[in-house]
Order: sequence, then C-alpha cells, then structure tokens
Amino acid sequence: MGRFLTRKNLTRNEMLVVYIIAALSLMIGAVNSAFFSMGTVIDTARSMLVTVIFALCEMAIIISGGIDVSFPAIACFSLYSTIAFMNAYHIDSVAFAFFFSGFLGLLWGALNAILIAKFRIPALIATLGTSSLASGAILVISGGKEISMIPPSVDALSQQFLFSVTNASGVKSSLTVFILLPAALCLLFHFVLRHTMFGRGIYAIGGDADAARIEGFNVFRTQCILYMAAGLIIGIAAITHAILMRNANPSNLMGSEMMVIAAVVIGGTRITGGHGSVVGTVLGVLLITLVSNNLIMLNVPNYWQTFAVGLIIVIGTSITSLRAKRIALSPKI
Amino acid sequence: MLALFGIALGIIAIMAFADPAFLKGSNFRSMAFQFPEFGILSFGMMLCMISGGIDLSLVGAANLSGIVAAVVILSTGGSIAVGIAAALLVGAVCGLFNGYLIGQLQIPAMLVTLCGGQLFTGLGMAITKGPAITGLPEQILVLSNGTVGGVLPYALLLFILIALALGFLLKSTVYGQHLCLMGSNPTASRYSGINNLHVTLLTYMTSGILAAVSGILILSHYGSAKSDYGMSYTLLSLLIVVLGGVAPAGGRGRVSCVALSAVILQLISSAFNVLRFNSFVKTFVWGLLLVIVMVAQSVIQKEAYQFLNIRRKNYEKDHQQA
Amino acid sequence: MGETFLELKGIKKSFGGVKALRGVDLTVNKGEIHCLAGENGCGKSTLIKVISGAHAADEGEVRIEGKLMQNFSPIDAIRMGVQVIYQDFAIFPNLTVAENIAMNRALESGRKRMDWKESRKLAVGAMEQIGARIDPDALVERLSVAHKQMVAICRAILGEARLLILDEPTTALTAKEVESLFAVLKKLKAKGIAIMIVTHKIDEIFEIADRLTILRNGENAASGDIGEFDRPAFIKHMTGREILETKYRPENPDREEILRVEGLTRRGAFENVSFALNRGDVLGITGLLGSGRGEIGEALFGLAPAESGRIFLHGKEIRIRSVGDAAAHRFAYVPEDRLTQGLFLERSISDNIAAASVRSYFRHGRLQHGAIYDAVVGWIRKISIAAPSPAPPARTLSGGNQQKVVIAKWLNTDPALLILNGPTVGVDVGAKADIHQLLHQLAQSGVGVIVISDDLSELVQNCNQIILMRSGRIGLELESAETDEAALSGMLNGKVRKEGS
Repeated sequence: MGRFLTRKNLTRNEMLVVYIIAALSLMIGAVNSAFFSMGTVIDTARSMLVTVIFALCEMAIIISGGIDVSFPAIACFSLYSTIAFMNAYHIDSVAFAFFFSGFLGLLWGALNAILIAKFRIPALIATLGTSSLASGAILVISGGKEISMIPPSVDALSQQFLFSVTNASGVKSSLTVFILLPAALCLLFHFVLRHTMFGRGIYAIGGDADAARIEGFNVFRTQCILYMAAGLIIGIAAITHAILMRNANPSNLMGSEMMVIAAVVIGGTRITGGHGSVVGTVLGVLLITLVSNNLIMLNVPNYWQTFAVGLIIVIGTSITSLRAKRIALSPKI
Repeated sequence: MLALFGIALGIIAIMAFADPAFLKGSNFRSMAFQFPEFGILSFGMMLCMISGGIDLSLVGAANLSGIVAAVVILSTGGSIAVGIAAALLVGAVCGLFNGYLIGQLQIPAMLVTLCGGQLFTGLGMAITKGPAITGLPEQILVLSNGTVGGVLPYALLLFILIALALGFLLKSTVYGQHLCLMGSNPTASRYSGINNLHVTLLTYMTSGILAAVSGILILSHYGSAKSDYGMSYTLLSLLIVVLGGVAPAGGRGRVSCVALSAVILQLISSAFNVLRFNSFVKTFVWGLLLVIVMVAQSVIQKEAYQFLNIRRKNYEKDHQQA
Repeated sequence: MGETFLELKGIKKSFGGVKALRGVDLTVNKGEIHCLAGENGCGKSTLIKVISGAHAADEGEVRIEGKLMQNFSPIDAIRMGVQVIYQDFAIFPNLTVAENIAMNRALESGRKRMDWKESRKLAVGAMEQIGARIDPDALVERLSVAHKQMVAICRAILGEARLLILDEPTTALTAKEVESLFAVLKKLKAKGIAIMIVTHKIDEIFEIADRLTILRNGENAASGDIGEFDRPAFIKHMTGREILETKYRPENPDREEILRVEGLTRRGAFENVSFALNRGDVLGITGLLGSGRGEIGEALFGLAPAESGRIFLHGKEIRIRSVGDAAAHRFAYVPEDRLTQGLFLERSISDNIAAASVRSYFRHGRLQHGAIYDAVVGWIRKISIAAPSPAPPARTLSGGNQQKVVIAKWLNTDPALLILNGPTVGVDVGAKADIHQLLHQLAQSGVGVIVISDDLSELVQNCNQIILMRSGRIGLELESAETDEAALSGMLNGKVRKEGS
C-alpha cells in the first residue's frame, strides 16, 4: 500500500477525478441523503452503461491520434435498422440482433477506416461526414419516427436482472444483466491496450505516426482494425441501448458525442493522442453521469442543465489540457 | 475558382433539365434570401480554419445572440437597434472566450469550440427556458425578408458587403497577412514578432460576431428566437469551407471561393426543395458531398506532393508505403 | 581495422533531373568509426537513404558483408544490421524508455503479447552495454535530448545493429554529452560494430574518426585514414577551393556604443552577463551548449526575457519583456532552426521576406503590395537568393537560400540590432561566404551584429570580439585578432575538462 501512496500516484490525473467525484458525491449527499445507497449505485451504473462502451471506443481512437464524432449516428443507424429489419421479416433471435447491429456498425466503421487510413482525411472532418451520412440515411429510412415494437425474445432481455435492491421508500432498483457488457469490454480494452503489440501500436501511432511507420508498425492496418472494431462494438452497444430503452429511436443518441469526448478527456486521455487509460475513462464517464443525473438534486433548474454540464466539461478539459502542457514544459531529466 | 464556377453552372444546367421550375425567378429570389444565413457563418468558419483552428460553436453562438437580441428588444420596448448591438456584443464575447482558451491556454480548438458550443447553446436554453421567444415587433422581419428597391434582398446585400470586407481584410490588412502566416507556422510567426495571441483573439472574436450576424438574420427570418435553430449549419459551413479550398491545416483560404461555394450549396439545397427531397435526405447528401470533396482533394494533393521535394519525413513516409 | 562491412560502388541517384549522387564509392569496415563529411547539398543525406534502403540507387552497387543488395527496403536493411539514427530519433514520447528501447525486438519477434518484464530486462541490458543511466520507466517526453539519443542508440544496438549510422548526432548536445556519446561509440566500436557519423563539425571529426570520406557535389572528393588529413586539406576537399582565412576588422573610427547590457540574469540560463557592442563590431558569442550562449539571444529578443539586469540601446535604457518589445526597438533574430522557427515553408518567398515588416506596408488604409514586391525583388538581388521570382513557396529553396530568406526578412525591418543563432548551419559554402560578407557590411553601416555560433572558425574570421560563455557566465572576452581557432577550441574544451564540471 505504501508503494501505491506516492506523491506521483496521488496527483495523477485519475486520482484528481476521484477527488472531484468524491467531493461531488458529498455535495449531492448533503442535499439528498438517499444518494448514499445501493439504489443510487445501480441507477448510476444503468445510466452509464452504454456511455462507457462508447467512451472506451472513443478513447482508443483518440489515443491513436484520431477522433470520432460519428458514433452516435452509427449507433442510431444500426439499432434502428436492426429492429426494423427484424420486425419486417419476423426474425426473433437475440443472436441475430447483436450480429446484425454489430455488422452494420462494422460497415460504417470500415467507411471511417477508408477515409482516415487510406485517404488521410483529417479524422474530425471524415467522421463528421460519416455522421451526416449515417444520420441522414437512417432519418430517411425511418421518416424520423421511432419503433416501439421490439421482437419478444430480444425484449425479454431487458427484464433480466442480476439483482435488485429496495430502498426505504419502497423503490426498487434492479441491475440489468447488460452491465456485464461494459464490464467485459473494460477488461478487454485494458488487456489489448496494455498487453498486446496491437494495443501498444495504437499508443505508438498516437505518439508519432511517422516514427511508428519507420519502426515497422503497420499503421494502415492498425487504424483500419481500430475503426472497424470500434464500429462493431458501437453497433453492439447500440442494440443494447435499444433493448434497454425498449424502443428503436433513430435520433435520440445524437448529440452525445460531446459528453463522451468530454468524459474521455477528463479521464486523462489527451485529445492530441498517445495517452489514455481505461480506468481514467470510466472515472470520466462516472463524473459526467453523476453531474448530469444529479443537477436536479443540486437545485439546478432544468433549463440550466445543458449550460451547467457544458461548464463542467469546459473546466474539466481545460484542467487536463493545462496539466499536459505543464508536463511538456517541465525541465527534462 | 474556375472549377467552382463550372460546378455552379453544371448544377444549374442539370436542374434546368430535371425540373424547369428550378429556373423560375422566384426560385432564385428565395435562394438569395436563404443562403446568406449560413454563408456568413461559413466566413466565420473560414477565418478560424485559416488560423489553423476550427470553430464548432458558431451555431450555438448564433442562437445565443439571437436569443439575447430578442430578449433585449422585448425588454426595451421594441428597440431593434439596441437588440442588434447586444447580439453583436454577445457574439464578440463568445468569440473572445474561445480565442482566450485557444490562444492563451493553448487548448486545442476542436475541443474548446465543441465545448463552447455546448456552453452557448446551454446558456441560450437557460434564457429561453425552453420554448422559442416570440412576440417581437413586425419590423424585425424586414432584415431577412425585405429588399432594396424590391430587387436586392437586404440579406444578400449584407452578405456581399461582408464578403468584400473580409476579402479586403485578408488581402490588404496587416491582420490578414498575420493570420495566414500564423496559420501556416505558429512558431515561425511568433519568432517573426507576430503576436499570436492577438491574432487568435481577433479571429475568434470576428467569427463570433459573424455568428451573431447570422443569428440576427435567423431571428429576422423566423421572427422568433430558439436555442436550436440551424443545427445542421455546422456541417454545412464546414462543407462550404472545405469545398471552397480552405486547407484544414491552416494558412490558406480565399473569400471569393468560399462565397461561391456557399452559392453552390444553396443551389443544391434549392434543387432538393424543387425535387421535393426532405431535410433528412439533405443531411445525407451534405455528408456525402463532404466525403467526396475531401477524398478528391486528398487524391489531387497526393499527386502534387509526389513531384515535390519536401522534407525528409514525408519522403520516407511515401517511400515506405510504396 | 576489421573486414569490410559496407561497400558502395559507383552509386548514382537523380531526382527528376537533379543529380544528387554522381557515382559515389564508400567502404566502411567493422569496428571503425567512419565520418561522412561534406557541405550541405553534397549528397550526404541521399547517400544515407540509399544505404538504409529508403531510396533505391539508379546505378551502382550496394554490398553489405559482401552480399549484393538489390531493391531492398528499409526493413531488409535493418535485417542486415543497418540502423540509422536520424536527428529527430523517431522515438515515442508517450511511451517509456524501456518500451522504446525494446520496441524493435518486440516487433521483430512477431509476438502478439506485450511482455513488459522482458522489455524492461532487454532495455536495462542495452543501457548497461553502453553505460547509459536512464530510468527505464520514465516517459521519453521527459528526457533531455541527449538521453533521447541514448534511447535511440540502445534501441539500435538491441536490434543487433552491425552498422550504426548517426546523422549529425551532436547538434543538440552539450560538450559533456558529446563526450559521453563518443565514449559510447568507442565501446560499440570495440565490439566490432561499424559506425558512420554524418557531420560537418571538423573538430569532432578529428577527435573521433578513424577514416573519413568527403563528398562534394554528389561525388567523392577524398577519402582515407584520418591521419592523412589536416584542416586546410579538409576544407579544400569540402569546398573545392582554398578558403582564405581572414579576420574581420571594423573600418571606420566612429565607434559609438550601440548596445550595452549589464548584469543580465535568468535563473537556470545565464548570470550576470555584461558586454558592450560598438558601431562596426561583430560580436561573437560561443560556448558549449547549455552555457547560455543561445539563451542570451533569446533574452535580447524577448522570447525568454532576462529576469534582472539592464539593457541600453544607444545609451538609453530599455526593457525587453516580450517579442513585441524587442520588435518595437527594431531588434531582429535569426533563429537556429530555420525550418520550424524561421520560415513559412508553404508560403511564397515574398510572404516570408515581408513577414516581420507587414505593418510598415500598411499605408493609405491598405497593404501596398507593389511596394512589398519591389522590396522583395530588391533583396533577392542584393543578397543573391537563387529563386526565379518571389512567388515560389519557401520550401523549394536550398538550405543556404532559405537562410538568406530568413535574413532578408529581418533586414527588411531595418533593424538596429541583428542577432543570429547558428547563421550558417547547413548552408553551402558559397552562401556562407555571402552571408558573412553581408554581416560585415551591416556592422559597418551601424547595425549591431551578434553572432551566436559553435562554429569556431566562423567566429574567428567574422567577429572582431568574441565572448566565451561558461555555465551561464562570461568566461572570457577576447579580440579575434589575438586568437585563432585552435586556441579558442582549447579554451572552450580544455578548461571544462580541468574543472570536471
């Protein structure tokens, strides 16, 4: 334990986020004592579920030096198309739902890969383009309307829970079995990023893409796999979202790119690339989720919420950016 | 530049063929009223890109300015001039906020303006508390919907004036030169005695003011102010700027090309209306166009670079991949 | 020496009509340190790229250990043991030292798993081999340039380099670090590794090289054992002409004071620096890297201002707190790294030359482009910039011409004081002479000229006053008339060794 409690570790970016989360929790708990309960943990976990998955993908992409603002659109496209398709052809298979949605996500991810890896289009612009393509396409297909009918066996999943707790006022909170998905993905991402050459390649490319090429990393292949895998995972996250929400909405995920990117950056991933960790990202998502869920608790009126979240994001990302700069300018050993 | 003219004429020709209604005078008239809204926004995007950054908060700033204008107009008992002044001030402040974070704290522009946009929109929402602000005096509609002598829409006139002013700014002022130099190499510009911070602040402040002008036009167009008008304009202005030949890396850009590019996009937009495409299709096509333009530019650039002897790194990179 | 490791015969290479190499021969033996010298533009870089497989020669043979290499890629060259360490090292700032060092091996082995323990072991082993003491878990971005270079070298050794090529390795090193580097190279040499150093620094060549090859204009000018060469012969081969080594003397008797600094101090950079510059003087400031020589220039130009001390311009006290202040007093600064600090590569020569004086062309409410054009054309003519017109982008120019553009940029501001940091680094000999002559003319006409350089012959010949910095303080002040390059070198290096600092 003593080895862990060094000054370097205690001031790491991730620890700062922990402190802020702690402070925030205390503030919220002071106003609402019901906050410190298992029910809250379950509810928060439920809110974070899909966001964490998005954030993990975004983190990996940003570490590699890129960025992706198309994932909400890809998600909307995948989930809606899957549900619509399944309804139209009376397919009622859980496996199909996941495979199909994942596959659609993979295809969009491949488009990103081609634009960014092959044509060297700046990632921001390329994914903005993909975002429009995907969201435009799905809005045309859906006519802007959501589907509330989910194939039964798929829908049944939304009622599978790991466990439940009931709080003092008799409100029951249940932890959906889907929580296993982001948990598994966290472990997977951590393993790949830290313990495989592919993952180290992602960091290398983010650190210096030219050097990575000279060293012998296949930058093209790594980027392709990265964007395509991200697409696949996003597709899976998308259908998860639809199942949990019990409907297929072609546009309600749009606009979440901001929060996800902010969560990732606050968690220590530098927007310029080369740095980032799973732990930090999860903490970042936790912070953002706590803030947006509990502003009501802190007496922030509804219409101030967008601003409040935005403010916190600005402050959070400013702090992280400044830290990164300070490190860059500090005396060299 | 010639290429853009060609594209514009090409589109007109195709549309004339597809649906003669396109060539009606009234169609061109309505186009002339429409495109200044996002055209002026694109100029803001152009300036920021030339400086080596980007401004994703333009729409948020525009809406916020419009909202503030509406509030001021209503609270001063209908004084439109004061409202407009307030809006411009808000735009400038938004721009300064962005410029400060980018120029002084050196946080990447993409991140700052993405968050800034959220902030501005959020502020707008906080002020309106949700629904649009209405009940503005009738004269407000004149700006966006009225004309000079029944022929030239005020909006178009404004667009032309701004285009001329910006063109002059870029070509014939100290700031314009400094902007291009800083966008080309911020280290060298600092070493050449150029005050990068001033240039950045001015740039984003200007784009903020341009956003405010656009916001005023939007306010005038609809006669009401809301925090989420024109959400698609961010992508649209990016597309216009990229099509207009502004390099995302910074240091280059011509007002005339961007202006023409805005016209082209208006032509396409109108073509969709005439062909009765709905707005969802438009979003799809904007995305498609952005992708096509970027791919085309990438391919053309690669050809050009292969002839030129540039720095070792790029040389090695090309050879490694070959 | 050992047997031949690398043999080049008749290497020819052209780029679109420009003959970079016109038939170059080269041999490098195992266990020898071979220096490749030549002026900028002589073909050194191209030759390295041919050896490393980055470029294919148009004609000629490349043999590594007797084996003929044809159509080989950099990876093939690496497999044969050829490793190049470029000036920017190509290492990853966001990864640890250990990871960087072991990276080659990890990739070579084709393993999918990242073995942290193994990497660390390998890295520590490599560092021990050359005596480097760096924390293997530190992120490379926190390392000094010298340590980064060590990391790059360790990586190369771990990659079983048999021929190590270093491209201008001592550019950013302090004297002590250069010593460490040379010690490392000698250790490697003892193991039978062939080492090739590309450099233009005459002193270092004489210190470390066993054999030497000089290129000029894409051809062999000379090669052989180091013992066969002396300074004059060396210069003659590099430049192709006898360089008259003359010394600059100010001509007019009017020696009013232009600049005086008293007690300038910036913690960690320099301390209590005082000197005076009179009309006609060309002041040279030298010292080992880290001695404060470059930092004084940066302080005077406001890039990293002094914390205390006084500055007097023409007798009046002024404050320099920012680049803006410096520009307001018409100070000019030609930086060390022209590519990243001095030039706008994508912009035209005209834009570059006008870059520091744009404001002065704003008259009658607009920029006077005609006046800018005239001024630029004037400079192109006056200082012989080899460009067809002011229009082409700056990146199309050669190093010497690029440097002239940077100088023209500042001359166009009509400066009162011109500070140049490494003004002729990577500049061909013709342009070098032009630049020196220009500096003399400026000094004569009343512009204060300060030259910061590590090129001792440049200083001795072109400055009449020389200041030698040592650990942030002024070590010596001399008239160039009283000394020569050898003595200066001795003062620079000898004293440091004795102090053992």
